[in-house]
Amino acid sequence: MLKMSKQKTRILTAKMGLDCHDTGIVTIANMLRDAGHEVIYLGLHNSVEEIIQAAIDEDVQVIGLSFLSGQHLTQVNKLMESIHQKGEDFTVIVGGVIPKTDIPKLEAMGVRKVFTPGAMVADINNYISQIVNS
Amino acid sequence: MTEKETEQTKGESLNQAVTPSGIPILEVYGPKNITDLNYEKDLGQPGEFPFTRGVYSNMYRGRFATRRFQVGFGTPQETHERMKYLFKEGSNGFVLTIDLPTSYGFDSDDVIAEGEVGVTGVAISTAEDLAEIYSDFTPDNVSVSLSIRPPVSAVTLSMLTLLATTRNIPLKTVIGTQQNDPLFQMSGGPLQTITQFFPLEGTLRLNLDIIEFMAKYYPKLNWMVTNSYNMRETGLSAVEEGAFALAHAFNIYDRAIIKGLNIDSFAPRASFFCSCGIDFFEEIAKFRAMRRIYARTLRNKYGAKDPRSLRFRSSVQTAGNSLTAQQPLNNIIRTTMEALASTFSGLQSVQVASYDEGHGLPTEESSRIALRVQQIIGYETGVTQTVDPLAGSYYVEALTNDMEERILALMEEVEKQGGLIESVKSGWFESRILAARLRSQRAIETREKTVVGVNKFLVKEEHDINIHQIRAEEWGTMRAGYLKGYRNNRDNRSTSKALLDVTNALKGEDNMIPVIIEALKVKATMGEIHEAMRIAYGFKFR
Repeated sequence: MLKMSKQKTRILTAKMGLDCHDTGIVTIANMLRDAGHEVIYLGLHNSVEEIIQAAIDEDVQVIGLSFLSGQHLTQVNKLMESIHQKGEDFTVIVGGVIPKTDIPKLEAMGVRKVFTPGAMVADINNYISQIVNS
Repeated sequence: MTEKETEQTKGESLNQAVTPSGIPILEVYGPKNITDLNYEKDLGQPGEFPFTRGVYSNMYRGRFATRRFQVGFGTPQETHERMKYLFKEGSNGFVLTIDLPTSYGFDSDDVIAEGEVGVTGVAISTAEDLAEIYSDFTPDNVSVSLSIRPPVSAVTLSMLTLLATTRNIPLKTVIGTQQNDPLFQMSGGPLQTITQFFPLEGTLRLNLDIIEFMAKYYPKLNWMVTNSYNMRETGLSAVEEGAFALAHAFNIYDRAIIKGLNIDSFAPRASFFCSCGIDFFEEIAKFRAMRRIYARTLRNKYGAKDPRSLRFRSSVQTAGNSLTAQQPLNNIIRTTMEALASTFSGLQSVQVASYDEGHGLPTEESSRIALRVQQIIGYETGVTQTVDPLAGSYYVEALTNDMEERILALMEEVEKQGGLIESVKSGWFESRILAARLRSQRAIETREKTVVGVNKFLVKEEHDINIHQIRAEEWGTMRAGYLKGYRNNRDNRSTSKALLDVTNALKGEDNMIPVIIEALKVKATMGEIHEAMRIAYGFKFR
């Protein structure tokens, strides 16, 4: 069992594009919920607009996205551009099968943190608590 | 010494007294653990009922497992080049993976395909694309298993038929596998992904049309019933894989029989695609138990008369989800163990996952090493020289019995849900997956389960490895240009007419394959044919 977080964070989790590998994101969403966060899982195949709208409607602090099929650069780029254009401010975290060389590229787009396979949910939980508290 | 170091010197209890499916493991097995085992009834000679020891009498002595290779990226031309390379390296069969847009029936130039063209596999939008992939190869001499599902597989089967006909290759000589799993092809099949872009009703209809068409024209082409591999990759156990793969198959057989097909017309070429996980003996026991259950069910429940109908034939791939991103070279050891277990399981075709799966798509080097794993097992270790060498092992036989019992019990539970298709629709199936995922991740987080390099034996610095380079933008642009030319170079009136025929035919009951072939002949594309089929159901998603 994960340590219960002191502070509840509202987190939106989602998959984008045509990629339908959801093991990672569904597992993490459920375990973060167990740790006391309010987690919304938006499901598969979301567009940029759907994600931003849901993030606004649900008043979340953190957006967590997961990619397995190599479309992370295209999709995240579109999302981050749109977030900046709309003047919104969300902490975006990305996870999945992300080649090491792409991590700095995602960070340059404004992604706060990238988690790769093998990451523990406990560490993701700690990270979220840390950034929300600071 | 630290406390931990002192601990290590004392020797360590590995503390794994149950299999991953939860079957208790005894310290020692002996004759008393298999007292009920009847050789003739429960095992039989290899190639004889109930096929526990294998579906052919001589197994690898007669024919070594197909060293099947996953191939497919970018354009049809690039994919063909990679196939030529792998063929030269000794691969004699291919699993052709397609990109995500094609998997959902979208053309490469559809706006929804942005950033995804050619990334996870090759793009196939036209009949010409499939012909380009084959080029120097012909479908009667190279075994290709197209990694696809209905509705899309209805179009690719039509493309294959058109290709063979055009090249004067009799359909009865075509080999390979037509994958035809309506539920689990897309990453194990979250319900959302199989219903988002096409109505499930249509998918299930085309699934049967494919079975019917193949039973009639393709005596040597396999059709894959269950993509059990993808289903298993969601995190399910070996028992769950066995039960759900078989329950799914029998559910589809029931539907085919209701449609009026005879079991012996379609069962002989039915095949499976399973996963081989890291737990060595449990996987071997799983395959032996599945063969036994399948044979008995086909004979007793379905009354199959053709001996070929009773054979549970399967290809296998080593489990991607057993691999780690950390210390990636360790994965070669994992896949070697899994490939060895697959070989002991007596399967028809083995694919070894590449060690870099946790980082991206396979590179040429990682693909080659995966192939070498099989070649070393096959050519050097001698384990293929006799059939089912583990038969009679007290443990393996006892575990085979345990697996059989548990698989059957779970199949009964599925039956109570109204069959597998209903259990997917109702969400029962996905709740099983969720439970398995959480169980597995919690076990890793609490270190109840050891994953070397992930929660134990970590290294400070991970070495960089070569990564397959994706050129999504370039591929997207190339393909868009190609499709523009393809469409400009056709008689649009004939194409529209043929597409209207597709829509109308789907409202009726005739087999769809011949109608789709006609549309392909006048250069209708994958995306257009899918749109014509959606219209028949009044289905919109955009």
